[in-house]
Amino acid sequence: MALRNIRKIGDPVLTKQAKQVKEVNEKTKILIHDMLETMYKEYGVGLAAPQVGILKRIVVIDISSECDSPVVLINPVIVETSGEQTGAEGCLSVPGKSGIVTRPNYAKVKAFNEKMEEIEVEGEGLMARALCHEIDHLDGHLYVEKVEGDLIDNRELEEDGE
Amino acid sequence: MTKEEKKVNLRELSLLILIEVLEQDSYSNVAIHNTLLKYQYLEKQDRAFLSRLTEGVIERVIEIDYIINQFSKVKTTKMKAPIRNILRMGVYQIMYMDQVPDRAACNEAVKLAQRKGFYNLKGFVNGVLRNISRKKDEILWPDKEKQPKEYLMVTYSFPEWILNLWLTEYSYEQIEEMLKAFLEQKQTTIRCNQTKVTVEELRQQLLEEKITVKEGDYLPFALKISDYNYLKKIKAFRQGLFQVQDESSMLVAYTSGVKNGDYVIDLCAAPGGKSTHIAELLNKTGIVSARDVSEDKVAFINENVARLELSNLKAEVYDATELRKEDIGKADIVLADLPCSGLGVIGKKTDIKYKTKKEDIEALAELQRRILSQAVQYVKPGGILMYSTCTINHIENIDNVNWLLEQYKEFELETLDSNMPDNLKSSTTKRGYLQLLPGKHKTDGFFFAKFRRK
Repeated sequence: MALRNIRKIGDPVLTKQAKQVKEVNEKTKILIHDMLETMYKEYGVGLAAPQVGILKRIVVIDISSECDSPVVLINPVIVETSGEQTGAEGCLSVPGKSGIVTRPNYAKVKAFNEKMEEIEVEGEGLMARALCHEIDHLDGHLYVEKVEGDLIDNRELEEDGE
Repeated sequence: MTKEEKKVNLRELSLLILIEVLEQDSYSNVAIHNTLLKYQYLEKQDRAFLSRLTEGVIERVIEIDYIINQFSKVKTTKMKAPIRNILRMGVYQIMYMDQVPDRAACNEAVKLAQRKGFYNLKGFVNGVLRNISRKKDEILWPDKEKQPKEYLMVTYSFPEWILNLWLTEYSYEQIEEMLKAFLEQKQTTIRCNQTKVTVEELRQQLLEEKITVKEGDYLPFALKISDYNYLKKIKAFRQGLFQVQDESSMLVAYTSGVKNGDYVIDLCAAPGGKSTHIAELLNKTGIVSARDVSEDKVAFINENVARLELSNLKAEVYDATELRKEDIGKADIVLADLPCSGLGVIGKKTDIKYKTKKEDIEALAELQRRILSQAVQYVKPGGILMYSTCTINHIENIDNVNWLLEQYKEFELETLDSNMPDNLKSSTTKRGYLQLLPGKHKTDGFFFAKFRRK
């Protein structure tokens, strides 16, 4: 088990289409475990396999502040969305930046779990945002393509005026 | 993905709205509503902060600019728009928001100036705001005795030309009372849809939804509600159990003397407050033809009609300045709630006081006469014409009543007292008209008159 190296914007692997997962073998299980570990270490709420350089359709998400509710999605497909939310979004592959992105406020996803059982996950608000953001990665898309206005430097947001 | 949702900067959102409203042509209620809609996920307290700050600056901007100009060498009229509005927000927080420490108001303003690309003006923003924060008890205000008009302008943030107009029509004390009432916190007044529910049942249901409910001031079917987040999220609203409407406006249908089977034409009906009210009073009989000038406005009426479930109301697009021949002499009641300067509802739509122009009032009074001269033709002999506006200038109200009586000798004023709440009866209601004034009455500023065709 190990931390993986997060690929940054500009790395061509982030622009490629990821491949369907046909079976979950030992290697896949290790990958999923490493992805979760890497996400928690970097204070992320979601990570997609291409972000650690693996072109497989695998996503991990945990929006809980206790980091105790991981969701693992294999071959996820968005089957339903509704509503709209506009808010700041960031990405571990675009460090130190954030931008305003409009996403559906609700999303329903069909996928497989680590045992390759079919599952359905739905979410509102932040969860819906994370589902859309991570599944975009599997098709080679980053949120920066969708930003309204400018990409903001987070240091600017946090800097004290004194 | 990383979690960034806390980083939406409320003051930056507020600044964008202020620039739209104070520097461009947007209306404050529309701009604030659109922003809240877009950022629906904001916590209740963040939403409240955003509305309070934005509405507060708009409501008090004349006073705020007066303060800034006492402490800044560069006058507000010479500043760049973002800087002008960043300073205004800062001053409002210092003067009116106890929950924001002055230091935070200054720091946030400086940061915002920097983020908006005015790095070199950080010192200026900081200097002006800190100076105001230090000397806020030493501000020189206009003296009420020596400069009575300037005193009203600055204290109540009110444009000079409207004061000039009103000073010829009302006493100084009466005007000050109105201006004071405009700035007071408003509750939402609602009309119970008595075709679906009793007032008591509605009150119970609202209380169950944890909404604060009070009695209306004049009418038994009016309630005042507060402490709710979003009107459209109230179950009783979605079920069509009530309509938002000021008590002043409810008086129109209430005193019209409508009876079962009447044919009613409402010439400028959107959003449908009076039309739906009179349709309710018709109790599933008769017909109300509710008209307005655009598809959008008619869609707005239809939305309310569908929600309130009124089968005797038909809405359609029609321009009230044009005569519709097939309606001549057909209506038992014509409602003419006409386009006006809206100075009576400044308490609810704060920026009307800045957006209305002097020349608008003349033009509106003229437009009212054009519509009235169509309206009179639809009234059948013995029928009623109700003329109303939400403003308080003579030229748009009583002057037009006198004009109509002069032009159309077959019309006479009819007393309102047969169905007027006792606490509103006066010598004018006995004759057939009523001017409601904020402060004096617990309503918006509103005028209406009742005519009968002989």
